[in-house]
Amino acid sequence: MSAMLELEDFRYSYGGVHAVKGISLQINEGEIVTLIGANGAGKSTTMRTICGLTEPQGVQGKIVYKGKEIQKLSGHKITAMGLSHVIEGRHIFSKLTVDENLEMGAYLRKDTKNIKADKEEMYRLFPRLLERKTSLGSNLSGGEQQMLAIARAMMNHPKMILLDEPSLGLAPIIVTEVFKAIKRLNEQEGITIFFVEQNSKIALNSAQRGYVMQTGEIVISGSCTDLSNNEAVRKAYLGE
Amino acid sequence: MLKFVTLFISATILGCTYGLISLSYSLIYKSSGMMAFVNPDLMTWGAFLGFTFYTLMGLPYPIAVLLTCVVMFCMGFAIQKGVVRNLIKRNVTPMYITLTMFAMGYILQNLSQLIFGSVPRKFDSIIPGLKIQLAGIQVQPEAIICVGVSLLIMALLQFFMNKTKLGTAMRAASMDPMAAESVGVDVSLISGLSWGLSTTVIAAAGILCGPIYSVSMVLGANLGAKAFAGAVLGGYGNMIGAIIGGLAMGFIETFVSGYISSDYKSLIAYIVLILFLFVKPTGIMNERAIQDV
Repeated sequence: MSAMLELEDFRYSYGGVHAVKGISLQINEGEIVTLIGANGAGKSTTMRTICGLTEPQGVQGKIVYKGKEIQKLSGHKITAMGLSHVIEGRHIFSKLTVDENLEMGAYLRKDTKNIKADKEEMYRLFPRLLERKTSLGSNLSGGEQQMLAIARAMMNHPKMILLDEPSLGLAPIIVTEVFKAIKRLNEQEGITIFFVEQNSKIALNSAQRGYVMQTGEIVISGSCTDLSNNEAVRKAYLGE
Repeated sequence: MLKFVTLFISATILGCTYGLISLSYSLIYKSSGMMAFVNPDLMTWGAFLGFTFYTLMGLPYPIAVLLTCVVMFCMGFAIQKGVVRNLIKRNVTPMYITLTMFAMGYILQNLSQLIFGSVPRKFDSIIPGLKIQLAGIQVQPEAIICVGVSLLIMALLQFFMNKTKLGTAMRAASMDPMAAESVGVDVSLISGLSWGLSTTVIAAAGILCGPIYSVSMVLGANLGAKAFAGAVLGGYGNMIGAIIGGLAMGFIETFVSGYISSDYKSLIAYIVLILFLFVKPTGIMNERAIQDV
C-alpha cells in the first residue's frame, strides 16, 4: 500500500494560538481512516489546512498528497489534484438548486459531456436528492444537505475525500445512512477516505484505522478494533 | 398626451441609466457582500473615457464604447486586487471598507476634475442629422441607443449570471466562498472578475448617458444616490430588482418633475422609497438584504 496523504510534524497556529502542535500521520490508498477527539482538539483546523482553506501563513511542517507537498497551495488547486473536502456544517450553496450544486461540484471538469451522466449516477446513489432536484440548497433538511455535500464532492471524481463531522446535527437514523454512503464510496468506488468525527462510536465502527487527537496532539492511534478495546479510549470517547 | 409621451421617454432614459448603476451595485453586493459606493464615480470615469475616445480622439462610437469597457474592467479588477483584497486580508471591518469606497470615490472624482477640468463636456452627436419621430415626439438617436443598449446589457448580464458556468461560480463564491474554493473555484480571481464586470456595467452607463446629459465630474455622484435608492427599492443585491427599482426611480423622478415640480422630485422619490420599505422591507424582489451577508 502506498501513502496517499502524509502529515509530517504538521503544526498550525493563528494569532499566537497553537491549534495543532506537531502531528504526523499517514493514510494509504484505499483506506478509510478517522480522526476522533473532543471539541477544540484541532481536528477541523487539520482538515481545513490539508485542503488549503486556512491562511497558509499559519502552517508549519509538511502535508504531502500523492508525493507532492501541498501545504502552500490554495484550496482550488488542491481540489484540482483530486482531493475533495466535505466541509463541517455542509456548506451547501444556499441559493442554488440541488442540481446546480452538483454542477458546481464538477466546476473543474473539462469533459462536459459526462457531467450529466455523473449527476444521474449521484441521483441513483442518493435517491432523496432526485426528489429535491429543483429545490434550493437552503430548503433541504440537514440529512439531505449532507448527502448533497458528499455527492457534490464526488462530482469532481476525487481520489480521496476528507469529511469534517459528517454526523453533525443529524438524527441518528440519518447518521447511519450517511455513514453507509461513505463506506459504499470507499468500497465500491475505491475512494480513500479520511474523516473527522465527534461521534466516536460510529467513527470507530465505520473506519479501518483511527487517530485520537487531544489538544493539538495525537495521543493514540491504531486499528479501530484496537482503539475500541483500549481502556483510555473507551473511557474518554465512548462514554463507558 | 404629448406631455405624457415626452415624460415617458425621458423617464425611460433616466430609468435605464439608474437601472445600470443599480445593477452594478447589486453585482458587487452579490459577489462580495460589499457596498460599492465608489461606483458612481467610476461611472463618471466611464463617461470621460468615452468622451476622450469618441470626441477627442475621433474613434467610432461603438469602438469607443468597447475600449471604455475594457479599460474600466481592468480598473475594477485592479481596485479589487489592489485595495479591497488588501483591506480584507488585514481584517478591516466591512464598515471601514464601505468608508474606503467613499474615499476612493472622492479621489476619483477629484482626479477626473484634475484631468478633464471642471467645465461640463459635451459629446459630439453620434449619428449627426438623424431625426427620429416617436409618437409625434422628436427623439435624439442617442436616447434610443442608450435605452436599447442598456436593455441589451441587462438581458446579457441576467443570462450570464444565471445560465453560464462562470456566472454561477460568481454567485456561488458570494454565497459561500469556502465551499466555492473547495469545489475548485479560484475565489480570489472570481472576486476580481466580479468587480471588473460591475465596473464595466457602470462605465457603460456613463458612456451611454454621456451623449444625452453633459459629462462633468459630478455626473455619477448626481445619479448615484438615486440609483442606490433604486437598488434598495428593488431588493438590494437582486439583479432583476435592481433594474425594476432603477426604472421606478427614473419614472417617479421624471413624472414628479413634469406634473408637480422639479423642486420636489428627490423629496418625493425618497419618501416613496421609505414608505415602500415600511410596507415591504425586503424590496420588490423580496431580497433579504443586509443581514444576509
